[in-house]
Amino acid sequence: MNRSRVIVVQIGLLVFSAVMAFSQEDPESVSAMLGPRGEGLIIARCAVCHSADLITQQRLSRTRWEATIEKMKHWGAEISDQEADLLIRYLSARYHPNAPANVPPLSHEIGKSEPLKQEPQAQRPVIGVAARGAGVFEHNCQACHGGGAMGGMGPRLAKNPILKLDVLFRETVLYGRGPMPAWSSVLSEQDIADVHEWLLTR
Amino acid sequence: MKGSGELAKFSRRRWLKTLLGFGAGLAMHPAKFLAWAADMTPARDESTLTVRVSRPFDAETPVRAFTSFLTPNDHFFVRSHFGPPSAETIGESQWTLHVGGAVERSNEFTMESLKQFEPVTITAVLQCSGNGRAYHRPKAPGVQWERGAVGNAQWTGVRLRDVLQAAGVRAEARHVMFQGADRPVVATVPLFVRSIPLEKALHPDTLLAYEMNGRPLPLLHGAPLRVITPGWMAESCIKWLTHIEVREDEASGYFMQTAYRVPVKSEQKDTGRTDNATAPVEVMPVKSLISSPEDGQAVMAGGVRIKGVAWAGETRIAKVEISIDEGNTWQTAQLVGDDRLYAWRQWQFLWQATVQGTFAIVCRATDERGHVQPAATSWNPSGFLWNGWDRVTVRVHPHE
Ligand code: HEC
Ligand code: HEC
Repeated sequence: MNRSRVIVVQIGLLVFSAVMAFSQEDPESVSAMLGPRGEGLIIARCAVCHSADLITQQRLSRTRWEATIEKMKHWGAEISDQEADLLIRYLSARYHPNAPANVPPLSHEIGKSEPLKQEPQAQRPVIGVAARGAGVFEHNCQACHGGGAMGGMGPRLAKNPILKLDVLFRETVLYGRGPMPAWSSVLSEQDIADVHEWLLTR
Repeated sequence: MKGSGELAKFSRRRWLKTLLGFGAGLAMHPAKFLAWAADMTPARDESTLTVRVSRPFDAETPVRAFTSFLTPNDHFFVRSHFGPPSAETIGESQWTLHVGGAVERSNEFTMESLKQFEPVTITAVLQCSGNGRAYHRPKAPGVQWERGAVGNAQWTGVRLRDVLQAAGVRAEARHVMFQGADRPVVATVPLFVRSIPLEKALHPDTLLAYEMNGRPLPLLHGAPLRVITPGWMAESCIKWLTHIEVREDEASGYFMQTAYRVPVKSEQKDTGRTDNATAPVEVMPVKSLISSPEDGQAVMAGGVRIKGVAWAGETRIAKVEISIDEGNTWQTAQLVGDDRLYAWRQWQFLWQATVQGTFAIVCRATDERGHVQPAATSWNPSGFLWNGWDRVTVRVHPHE
């Protein structure tokens, strides 16, 4: 190979790596940006079967995070493709192979997670639709509160006095309580009203 | 909810006592256990165990506890796939053991009828296949166990062989499958089902154990009955045992066909899946641990007594060696205490620490078949069977 060809190749490589570096997401900013949503998803989508510490102690490459989430979906994790994409980006930015052993633990603090959609503050009260609520319940609540909301690992919600206390119900669902996940980063106000309405019919 | 107040009042210490303690744990309903365990955060100082996963509960023993030959029940590591089953299935009046499959006569035992077989006691190491996973590079997914997912206990029970022979094993039988009463929170998760080859099942030392260190098996350790396969990794030692099925083939399902297997040929790629042929994890490889001094401890210059344990699956320990110079030179430690097949062997070494400074103490064991503990274990995708040299770092201080 002659000298000028070598130089051309070298310049090419330089340009290529500069472009790559530019387009690559900086893990720290990705993890800060996706943090609230990602943490919310872990609690809402994953903590049904195991506590979040099993997830946050891993230090995995993106491929292995992808494979892990695929396995969890296969086993019954209720997570949409879009949520899974976001969670994989978040996990591989925060819990990657070179991350320190003690990444600060997930914050379970109330109200930390961003609301799902920036809905304009409701002009009128949100009206729940029971028929939609059945689906919301099945995908998000049934694993813990049992079929027909008759109770399981979580308390029975059918005929539960809390259903009469609208504000308390909404806040318990939004922010979680004890082992009960916070749903603020996954469910909209409408979803919560729908599931509330459906529970009232049980 | 009515239960939550009660739960909050119950201290974490008492909780562990109840579950690890002396069979009394059955009083607690698993729903409460789950709700409660979810609240637990890893607490090194409050409990005798280091919690790795709070729900389902996984916790390891601090290695300083390994200065004693037997590991006490409430210090013994806990590994749960789904956590303890409900009292309805394993309570004394409800529990039964079903034996079926490729046998002449299917059988159903109560604890009382099982105890008509001759009782046997064996001291054996129980170790999680993932013990030491945290040291594999690249990191492998799974519970990030360090050194303490292992313990040595006295197991009392009946021989699996006696139970199988009473049922009459048919000629085509090759494997014996076990299932416990534990169930996942969500029914789509595969059950924790495992099988072992018939040869191991018929070995006179393979037990169905109902006592641990002379006490009824604690709830977290599989009450009322668990399998003990001495010398083999703990995933064969099914807890809360309710079903035994004699079969022609290996058990199917995730926990037998995908998990708890290692590639037959070693590999270094981290792709999350393997195309190589795999084999189930079985025998424990030779391994040793330093139980004293502790990692990071300060010691006084002069004679420092180094203590530890070593074990080697289905054979005995021949030698334990210590190095203070990262394995360049080795000195032989003294084997002490009980020498029993399947149990661990205690050892000690008097190190003349004359120079002050920071030192890494490294140990390695050799078994009677000549296998030597390697500096690092070859990598496998699930991070199993770690048996690299054990290491603690100490600071030697001058005498005042
Ligand atoms: C339907 C139940 C279920 C849900 C929901 C679930 N998991 Fe799991 N997960 C499991 C089981 C079962 C295991 C294996 C436990 C064992 O080996 O004991 C596991 C293990 C893991 C592990 C350890 C590594 C491994 O492969 O065993 C990670 C990491 C993990 N899950 C991440 C997640 C994430 C992230 C989510 C949310 C998207 C999630 N899980 C949701 C059931 C679930
Ligand atoms: C991971 C399991 C889990 C999931 C999933 C879950 N919950 Fe819960 N929930 C619980 C537990 C456990 C409690 C009891 C909390 C406590 O003891 O403080 C609870 C409590 C509640 C309460 C308060 C009940 C009372 O008696 O005060 C409401 C309301 C509730 N959940 C609604 C929901 C809704 C709606 C969903 C779905 C969007 C849902 N939960 C999903 C576990 C869960």
